[in-house]
Amino acid sequence: MSMPLASSGLQTAQVAEDKLVVSIGPQHPGAGHFRFTITVDGDTIVDVAPDPGYVHRGAEKQTEYRTYLQSIPMLERSSLTDVTNIIGPYSLAAEELMGIEIPPRGQYLRMIMSENQRIMSHLYWLGIQGIFLGHSTMFMWPLGDRDIFVDLGQMIGGARITYSYWIPGGVRNDMPESFKPRALKVFDYFETRLKDYERIFFQNPLFLKRTEDVGVLRREDAIKLGVVGPVLRGSDVKSDTRIDEPYCFYKDLDFEVPSYKECDTYARCMVHLVEMRQSMRIIRQCLEKMPLGPVRVKLSPQQRTNPGEAYARVEAARGAMSFHIISDGSTKPYRVRISVPSMRNLIVLKKLLIGSHVADMPAIYWSLDYWPVEADK
Amino acid sequence: MSIVVDSFRAFIAGIRQLPRKRMTMRYPDVQTEMQSYYVYDPKLGVAKPGYKGRHILWLDKCTGCQLCSIACENISQAIEMVKVSRSQPNNKKSIFPQVDYAKCVFCGLCVDACPFYALGMTEDFNLVSTTKKNLVYAPEKLAIPPKVTRPKVEFKIDKDVAYHD
Repeated sequence: MSMPLASSGLQTAQVAEDKLVVSIGPQHPGAGHFRFTITVDGDTIVDVAPDPGYVHRGAEKQTEYRTYLQSIPMLERSSLTDVTNIIGPYSLAAEELMGIEIPPRGQYLRMIMSENQRIMSHLYWLGIQGIFLGHSTMFMWPLGDRDIFVDLGQMIGGARITYSYWIPGGVRNDMPESFKPRALKVFDYFETRLKDYERIFFQNPLFLKRTEDVGVLRREDAIKLGVVGPVLRGSDVKSDTRIDEPYCFYKDLDFEVPSYKECDTYARCMVHLVEMRQSMRIIRQCLEKMPLGPVRVKLSPQQRTNPGEAYARVEAARGAMSFHIISDGSTKPYRVRISVPSMRNLIVLKKLLIGSHVADMPAIYWSLDYWPVEADK
Repeated sequence: MSIVVDSFRAFIAGIRQLPRKRMTMRYPDVQTEMQSYYVYDPKLGVAKPGYKGRHILWLDKCTGCQLCSIACENISQAIEMVKVSRSQPNNKKSIFPQVDYAKCVFCGLCVDACPFYALGMTEDFNLVSTTKKNLVYAPEKLAIPPKVTRPKVEFKIDKDVAYHD
């Protein structure tokens, strides 16, 4: 039996004497285009049924009708906060099939854009996490500071968000000379800013009360369920594609991978904060070590590949993003399989939410950094 | 005890922002300094960094080869080759690209496809229109360089404050 509550328009259904089914989404502000139904017993969640797929656009199938270059703008739109990292593995796999070697300067520029994108994605995540916990200052500050990093990306990429910068064959253009002094200024500013974030949000007693010992994902469960990225590192597993399977020149750089023993929502939030610092550290090193030279290998727009298979993986902002391309030697791929981190992290929602309070649901849900558009592809 | 101290510290961190200058820009009145044009060098096979806004077409260089239109196929189908009454020795058919900005995604791959230095992208992003027809830019309209009339402001950044002048 369904009965809409007059005040909120919420759809509910009584399943037993003491249990109620509540539908959340797909138009929930913050949840994105994603719906899940929870069964509640009083204030406790007893069952969760995630229902993804509202924004499925068939990205895998669409790549079969496009040349390797033409797929780039379409794939970017699957993950708007993380555009460089979603086309990264696609380009790496396509290059492996084409059998080409990218010049070192191009590789360094890829790393700079990739890390800049990670900071932007984490700041966006932090803003939404702030507003989910009722801390509206933490919504304004990160989204304001994110704009500075959007400007940095614009200096190289030439667009605000979707730059189509990392393409098969290298990168589109070299960076302008004004980028290095500007970036160093921005990092000095942002490091003092991160201390402010810590004071007002991460060490705030109210934030600690809301997140500590909430949504605990034990180390063995995290490994068994196959989660990736900050969620895995928040569960005391030091795993990072940049270290395990280094691509570009990550093996030459010096950076730390954070991991926390607490395994709760607070640990997952802290991983994001530390990763922003480490990303800035990586870009600083890249700017120093960068050699001069070409950035792109000239390819035909109708570039053919060798027949065969290729698999590539990069560490995106939300975890390991991988592409598997099968080619029959023509200008278009025969089959493309995309594995996105959001979909792999969604599986733990069912584990974490059961047994927790309804009020903890936003904090747990957003600490997984689930992005419906990316997951549905 | 630490709850009191940490709450106080959070409060102070907020209070310290009060005397700082405004970070947001008063957009319709002012505008930030934009980068130069995004242009591609087919000889070197690499582009020059610049903002990818609306296109600019250098009519005298265009040969009507349709490579930009082919590059846009399967991306957004925004470029269509149209006939223009204009006699040009290097463009016998007198066909030039026409861009529909209702469809364009500003990826700039058409610029990368041009082998004759005829197409570039400008810093103009103000493409607002009340009708869909006005968003279709004919070749003659694309050839006009954009004019920015708004006063420009600089986004300044210091060690602990970022603001618009």
